[in-house]
Amino acid sequence: MTNTTAMYQQFICAVLETVINKALALSLNGSKGLQSINQKCLVVYLSELGFPLSLMICEDKVLVTSLNEHPDCVINTSIKTLLALKQDMQITELIKQDKLDISGDLKVAQQFAQFFEKLDIDWQTELAKHIGDIPTFKLTQLGKKLSRKLNFAAKQIEADSTEWLVHEKRLVVSNSEVSSFNLQVSDLDVRTEALTQKLTRITQLINNAKDICE
Amino acid sequence: MSAHDQDHQDNSTHFGYQTVDKNEKESKVASVFHSVAAQYDVMNDLMSFGIHRLWKRFTIDASGIRPGNKVLDLAGGTGDLTAKFSQLVGKDGQVVLADINSSMLNVGRDKLRDRGLVQNIDYVQANAQHLPFEDNTFDVITIAFGLRNVTDKDEALRSMYRVLKPGGRLLVLEFSKPEQELLTKAYDFYSFNILPKMGELVAKDGDSYQYLAESIRMHPNQETLKEMMETAGFEQTTFKNLTGGIVALHKGYKF
Ligand SMILES: C[S@@+](CC[C@H](N)C(=O)[O-])C[C@H]1O[C@@H](n2cnc3c(N)ncnc32)[C@H](O)[C@@H]1O
Repeated sequence: MTNTTAMYQQFICAVLETVINKALALSLNGSKGLQSINQKCLVVYLSELGFPLSLMICEDKVLVTSLNEHPDCVINTSIKTLLALKQDMQITELIKQDKLDISGDLKVAQQFAQFFEKLDIDWQTELAKHIGDIPTFKLTQLGKKLSRKLNFAAKQIEADSTEWLVHEKRLVVSNSEVSSFNLQVSDLDVRTEALTQKLTRITQLINNAKDICE
Repeated sequence: MSAHDQDHQDNSTHFGYQTVDKNEKESKVASVFHSVAAQYDVMNDLMSFGIHRLWKRFTIDASGIRPGNKVLDLAGGTGDLTAKFSQLVGKDGQVVLADINSSMLNVGRDKLRDRGLVQNIDYVQANAQHLPFEDNTFDVITIAFGLRNVTDKDEALRSMYRVLKPGGRLLVLEFSKPEQELLTKAYDFYSFNILPKMGELVAKDGDSYQYLAESIRMHPNQETLKEMMETAGFEQTTFKNLTGGIVALHKGYKF
């Protein structure tokens, strides 16, 4: 590990620790649920990072370090997989695909996951405390508008990229191509059936001819 | 002849670039830290652009600390390391924040209490050269930016070795010698031109920060400190340069 990597590693841990504890302080649920995992340590190895992230609960705080001496549970995975995990929770499937590896006390990992899911922050009230009600209202409206526009843009980009993959790169087949392929398969199926019947009839004719000759 | 060699020649030692009587150094260092105590944390962030926090985090990671451990944060001053250790060792562990200087200890104690850190921290006013603890007491000892202020570093290292448990480790975080010549030049310029001015402006105490810059230059380099630790009895001694060697973290075990 070079000394730049060492500092970068510490910087990431420090930022994560600040963000998590800030979120915890703002959460409407407070630090509820942390007591059950007090002094428990979850170590996560993310393939993109290349160093362990150790999350340890100390009373009402979460400490983020790279200490990996005595973890209660260790997860080996990637950021990509973690995002997928949040979306549809297909843990066993990911384990089967070698995208997620958990060792140690699985309950600790579950409790950590529950804790992060329960973080519930009232952003509007928090913002209003700092900048006042009217600016918060305006900012929220602007945020909503921006979010709608971004969603629309994201859908557009998705549609465009699909178009590009279909027409330019020809990596993805279009719906009409799939339907036409389905029709062709059905047609082939009918023709195969007819051919099978013809063959059966010919076989019967040959067998009959054989009987007459004998 | 290195500063370290000279310490052994007669009864004189260094206080920054000045040569002073060994007995005099302690009181001079004491007056520096009495004078900077109140502004110490602000100045630390300012002078290092906050990077001292990353150096300290690295030290915590390298300590291999576990819940239930007993830790000595020696020359712990305002208690940055103690705060983290206290959380990591939990209620079954213990952290002793020891410092020779009562003003630094008081600032540290107030800060940690304000943060609600009370249950497992003890405060002890002690000289690193004569630690008032039983043999084989601690799992981990840290001394961050403290060793260069100690008059007899060899004696202090022996004292730390004595109070460390077998299997325990010492971590010395200290300013050191930059690896690149260019960095040395930039660092020298910063230390001798900008730093004392900052000290004058913010803490109204340019002299103390002039001492800080000088004491860093007089401190043994990476290899010398490693040898000193080995002479004191530490084994598997290694060091890791941080920020181009501006700071180094030395680690050694007692077996
Ligand atoms: C630069 S401060 C470091 C404080 C803290 N460890 C940190 O990293 O922020 C140096 C500390 O070493 C203490 N010190 C100096 N000589 C000492 C000695 N002989 N024994 C114990 N502490 C000493 C000073 O009082 C001061 O608090």
